Amino acid sequence: MLLDAVHMEFSPRYHHTADMLLDEQQIIEAAKQNPEHFGPLYDKYYKQIFGYVYQRMDDKDTAFDLTSQVFLKALTNIEKYEYKGVPFASWLYRIAHSEVMQMFRNNSKLRTINADVSDLRNICEEVEEEYMEQYKGILMTVIKDLPEDELQLIELRFFEKRAFKEIAEILNLTETNAKVKLYRILERVKKTLTKKSK
Amino acid sequence: MAAKFNLDRQPVPDEEINSHKDFGELVNKFKKQSIEKARSDVNFLKNKKITYSAIIAGVAVICTVTYFSVFKKQPPKESNNDKIVTSQTQHSSSPETKQHKAFITPPISKLNVPYTSYKVKAEQGGTIKHKSNSKIIIPKKAFINKQGQDIVGDVEIKYREFHDQADIIASGIPMSYDSAGVKTTLESAGMIDIKGYQNGEPVFINPKKQITVEFQSEHTADRYNMYVLDTIAKNWVYVSRDNSLKGQKPVASRNTATEMQSEPTESPKTIELQKQLDAIPPKIEAEKVVYTKKVNQLPKAVTPSKPAKATAGRPQFELDVNYKEFPELEAFKNAVFEVGTENKNFSPKLADITWSSAEVSEGPTKGKNYLLTLKYREQVEKLIVYPALTGADYDKALKSYESKFSDYKNLVAKREADEKKLKEEFEAKQAAFAAEQKKLSAEMIQEQIRWKKQQEEEMNRQFKSMNIQYKVSRIFNISSFGICNSDCPTSMPEGAKMTPIFLVDNNGTFIKAEHTYLVCHSKNIVYNFYNPPISYDPKDTYSLCVLSNGKMYLCDKTSLGNCFSNKQNKIPVKELSADVSDVGDLRKAIGI
Repeated sequence: MLLDAVHMEFSPRYHHTADMLLDEQQIIEAAKQNPEHFGPLYDKYYKQIFGYVYQRMDDKDTAFDLTSQVFLKALTNIEKYEYKGVPFASWLYRIAHSEVMQMFRNNSKLRTINADVSDLRNICEEVEEEYMEQYKGILMTVIKDLPEDELQLIELRFFEKRAFKEIAEILNLTETNAKVKLYRILERVKKTLTKKSK
Repeated sequence: MAAKFNLDRQPVPDEEINSHKDFGELVNKFKKQSIEKARSDVNFLKNKKITYSAIIAGVAVICTVTYFSVFKKQPPKESNNDKIVTSQTQHSSSPETKQHKAFITPPISKLNVPYTSYKVKAEQGGTIKHKSNSKIIIPKKAFINKQGQDIVGDVEIKYREFHDQADIIASGIPMSYDSAGVKTTLESAGMIDIKGYQNGEPVFINPKKQITVEFQSEHTADRYNMYVLDTIAKNWVYVSRDNSLKGQKPVASRNTATEMQSEPTESPKTIELQKQLDAIPPKIEAEKVVYTKKVNQLPKAVTPSKPAKATAGRPQFELDVNYKEFPELEAFKNAVFEVGTENKNFSPKLADITWSSAEVSEGPTKGKNYLLTLKYREQVEKLIVYPALTGADYDKALKSYESKFSDYKNLVAKREADEKKLKEEFEAKQAAFAAEQKKLSAEMIQEQIRWKKQQEEEMNRQFKSMNIQYKVSRIFNISSFGICNSDCPTSMPEGAKMTPIFLVDNNGTFIKAEHTYLVCHSKNIVYNFYNPPISYDPKDTYSLCVLSNGKMYLCDKTSLGNCFSNKQNKIPVKELSADVSDVGDLRKAIGI
């Protein structure tokens, strides 16, 4: 049952048809020639990138600033972007991920985990535990204590409801690797819940 | 990492997210960043250039190579080397040198395209990367001296490139091409000028070797030929078709070598206006001080004290008063001091004591009552007393008071009038300062808007000039030093003719053109006219440079376009500004 919960609705934002990818590629090529043509990509992905950044911090203004920084970096490096059959978003998320991590390295106080109770419920269901109110605090503590790379996986999968393909793209892992890593984390979470609830 | 955990945080509304979206700002930031990068790259190149120049010893001498056998390998025969020697000797002689100079004469020497010097070890060879990204590939043992012997040690390579119309005009390199009697002008895909020296003496390319220049050209069309400039025959010599583009795809790159000018953050006018604005608050403060001082200097009116009539039955003291200390008591000469009803401690027995001292000081109500301090040994009594008069003294004092009160009122009225006048003057000055402040602030805002707009335009212009350009490598295989190009002959423009009259600054001053450069903006061509008329294609865009009496004059695209479309032969020109100090400035001035 682990990792295969069918009830979780994953965001369709990452999914593109072949035609959509082709259209996007044409915009990227135009943007390489002239930054003014970057506009459609900026419009399309601004909210998503802001969401990704703000998900990881408390301060909205910092999140907006960092989002601008991500797009500036993208525009600066767009010449180097090579189409690899995945949406442009994955490249933007990687830049965002790198920028966010850089910011936390400089100021770890900014790091915030944002989740809904329903997300914690999903984790419980994923580890085949029935959600109880007392689990809330335990889960929050367990998640807070996770190393950053493991926390990222939990966040991307459960709090942002991303598909493994997208998670793998963002974290530069293979899809299988992402699944295995998450499986191990959830196993540990399950053990902790069982132990602490006794 | 000590993270904070938020549960069920409110999502950010879409409106708020969208309100932070500013694509224009992003593009502006990107452009600024690109320009900054370009500037730093240019500085890096400049530093590098200085380093190279510092290394190279020797003084630059004018290379006067007679015959360029570029692209044509010379057989390694002694006779060929002799030829070079002979030529070298001939060209060192002054008449030939003069001829050479006359053939390639920069119109304004300070605008000439400068050489960049590089050092290479002759026995090792090497690859030099020029600031334009062009490469100069020098094989080992590529140089010989005038005796035909291999050269060892450092050789100084002097190199320059010509990419556009500004370079063509500034260098004075003739672009006319006479092909079997047909006179044409060369449209350029780029030119190079390369020379070699050792210890100030020209060196020659070993006939067994070739120097290869991979020239980065922005002109990607495949329609150019290779030419070398024969400075003796005073013509370009066709070498071959330029086939260097075969199998080559244009490569996109940002032109970071463009000379960028740093703009100050504030315009000089804004700085001046700010200075004027900053000077106003001290003036306002100074004026306040002056005003306060003037007001304080106005004569002060002292309210005269109205004499009081003595009350029958009240205990009284007769005192000897120092009127200098209490001038208001002048009116109370011969007065008695009545003990006030507020003195609860007063006892009629006090009158029986012979007091050793009695002092009068200010009372609780200034000018009305006084504090009488009576002392006898250890006993001290303090009483509040009121001056009062009796009989004729009272009548006299009342009269005096009325007269003084009248004077007092007059003085008060005068002071009020004077104060009002001073206040009006002060307020008028303050208002003038405020108006000046407002005017300067408004002017400064306008200037800041204008400056910002100008900076944005400049930024866009710079960005445009450094924007992605497709470049191709044009390969020059060089067997002799000199000038060579990848160009194609073009007929003189057709469609209309004009005998221009050049008028400086529209003030009617006529100048006689010795050389007219018609700069084509749709192609990389400069048409040369030494005598009227000039011909042009009315559908094309041109600007114009005129050389007269050692001075250069310009007519921009718009003005010239208006003249051509109106068939107006009085062409307004402006003398090239003294600020134009190099070919980069000339490029800007021409609007390339």
